[in-house]
Amino acid sequence: MARLGNRRWSLMWLLVGPGILAMLGENDGPSMIAYASDGAQYGLGFFVPFIPLLFAMAFVCQEMCMRVGAVTHRGYGELVLQRFGPVWGWFAAGDLTLTNLITLVAEFVAIRVGLAYFHLGSVVAVVLGLTLVVFTFSGGRYWRWERIVLGMALFNGLFLVAAILVKPHVGALAGSLDFMPFPGGSFNTLLLLLASTIGATVTPWMIFFQQGASADKGMTPRDISHGRYDSAIGAVLASIFGVGALVAGAALRSRGGAGIQGFAGAGYPQGLSHVVGSGAGTLFALGLIEAGAVAILTISASTAYAAAECVGVTHSFNSHPREAALFYAANFGVALLAALVILIPGAPLLSIALNANVLATVLLPVSLVFMVMLANDRGLMGRHANRRSTNVVGIAVIAFVGICGAAYGIDSFLLATHVIG
Amino acid sequence: MNQRDAARDELERPPEAQAADPPAMDPRAVEAEPEDELIMHLERDQFVAETSRPVARATLGRRSIAALWALRVFAVAVSLMVVYTFVSQLS
Repeated sequence: MARLGNRRWSLMWLLVGPGILAMLGENDGPSMIAYASDGAQYGLGFFVPFIPLLFAMAFVCQEMCMRVGAVTHRGYGELVLQRFGPVWGWFAAGDLTLTNLITLVAEFVAIRVGLAYFHLGSVVAVVLGLTLVVFTFSGGRYWRWERIVLGMALFNGLFLVAAILVKPHVGALAGSLDFMPFPGGSFNTLLLLLASTIGATVTPWMIFFQQGASADKGMTPRDISHGRYDSAIGAVLASIFGVGALVAGAALRSRGGAGIQGFAGAGYPQGLSHVVGSGAGTLFALGLIEAGAVAILTISASTAYAAAECVGVTHSFNSHPREAALFYAANFGVALLAALVILIPGAPLLSIALNANVLATVLLPVSLVFMVMLANDRGLMGRHANRRSTNVVGIAVIAFVGICGAAYGIDSFLLATHVIG
Repeated sequence: MNQRDAARDELERPPEAQAADPPAMDPRAVEAEPEDELIMHLERDQFVAETSRPVARATLGRRSIAALWALRVFAVAVSLMVVYTFVSQLS
């Protein structure tokens, strides 16, 4: 109706969602702690331009997902399964389930880290996360689910407010746009840095989620241009908020921040509170809770899309739970499994969380190759198939992600087996 | 048959059969049940019956299949290396 009435802004409002959610969902708990950790260890140089560059890469991938979803009206898992056969479809779903489960554990840990600032424990994190998953089902429509999660995702901006509160030197920010100074340290540390930062920006779940959500939302080829705006807005917001976390972390660099790494990064909110003031610490803690919560919703949704698409049953938030039992069960079940892991006493949560992004980076090229193949498939896409320039950029992204992930995996393995010193 | 079923059946009919029919009443003019509100506002392209049918299988050449398998084996091998490193770091 908005299209018929030529109400452009109204149409834009109706069509935004999947792109912003995919991008802001990827600004999840582990990612924001990774950015803060980068800032605390290495300062602003290199990462200030690197984070937007990664989100530009993410935009190229996500635009393809949106376009394929809008043209075919099918999710990624369903399309790979039907077009390339069950072996490749199930491989894709298996990769996704594995990385999603690990990432969801990390999201619950992020919520726990944020709640710890307010002296609340793991059980509260689990109850909060699972309650949110159930609450978002209550709308009974994709539209309502999307708007609830979208409203929550906007609080990712808390990281930007935290960055403003640390009063960064504008000249230093501008001066870091030349990618310098390049991070020092060992070759393996540099590879870990690249692999985990890439894994914090482009991941397999985003591909499943945005294509599945675009199809579930009912986007059509006429909506592709709006879908591009949606993805671009998401990429811009996510990179600004990601740089916000980096800047906030960098405030701790000269005050022992480099020692607060990864999920020992429970210390970041407290560290900011001591160095800058309680406002920045509180905002950072709330931001972590938001980042973890939104990611739980989007990542468990992507698992549900993949599982139900591959089995070939109803996979839509527009369906009643009785009609789409597997979809809703997978959505809640994967979140429940991850929640149970963080309740295990002594579970290696820090290591699980740190390796989640790396594993996602290693498995991402396979998903991206199928995405590029689908987006080039003229039998499916017709005139909406990839242009040559999109393919050049897409293949460059796949090569970059593949080389970084593989280099870290192989180098770490050789170090762990003492083949190299 | 409720309004939703009727609308779906209509869209699944061959175009020639639809063209032969007299103009249909605007579905928005019909008072809707709350659950049919979504169906009424769907555009034709969002409602095509083809989405419920599988797409045709792509024909891949031998080189493409070999390249996909090579990429898959490589990804699994590197993943196992990451998992091994993770486990060795724990111990």
